[in-house]
Amino acid sequence: MNEQPVKYHRPLSPRISIYRWRAPMLASIAHRASGVALVLFVPLYLWLLHGMTSSPDHYDATLTWLHSLPGKCSLWFVGVALVYHFSNGIRFLLIDVGWGESRKMMRFSALVVLFIAALASLMFAWLLFL
Amino acid sequence: MRTVKEPGSAHGGLSDWYWQRLSAVVLAFLLPLSFLLMLMVFSGAVDQQGLLDILDHVASRVLHTLLILALMVHAYMGLKVILEDYVHMLAWRIPLIATMLVLMSGFGIWWLALIWAWA
Repeated sequence: MNEQPVKYHRPLSPRISIYRWRAPMLASIAHRASGVALVLFVPLYLWLLHGMTSSPDHYDATLTWLHSLPGKCSLWFVGVALVYHFSNGIRFLLIDVGWGESRKMMRFSALVVLFIAALASLMFAWLLFL
Repeated sequence: MRTVKEPGSAHGGLSDWYWQRLSAVVLAFLLPLSFLLMLMVFSGAVDQQGLLDILDHVASRVLHTLLILALMVHAYMGLKVILEDYVHMLAWRIPLIATMLVLMSGFGIWWLALIWAWA
């Protein structure tokens, strides 16, 4: 906890501006960013669910919105965030049980999950926009 | 974890760690399912009647409820850690975390009501 007087400015915890960028660091920050993105999607998901479970007119309107550009972009964004958070989450769980804790393996697995996310972004773009 | 001997000054460290991972495992199974269902609705493979049939089923209501509970636990702890890392002023941090908890509980209750509303 923060026990120092307010005047004393410590650096922010994960020191983004100080350390050299490495794949595991990018993977860690991206896990937070994708997590926040997924939380922001929850109200939208509730709105979609609400629309789709009421009258047929509501359902059609919701589906039309989902096929509009903002709808497709939201689906693309949440899809990529989900694939990334899912893959890197499994990576974190594996590291927690003691698999791939070496520096070399951490870098390699970070590159793997980033590659999976890049692949997913292309796949969802193809799926939604073509 | 094998080498950790002190659970932190608040003695809540292990509990948070454990709940974050338990909810992660639940979400890893259930979240892709709901996303797939949404994609199937998007593509037209499932129409409204099909969607309602799936959502009406007692198994999917129970799974959906578990999903919501795990999501609330997981998102609360994740956002809490982020706020604790980047918001250093306690006068901001504590009200922010509290507001987040109240807002998320509200969303969770609304969502549960949506799931269990129609008979």
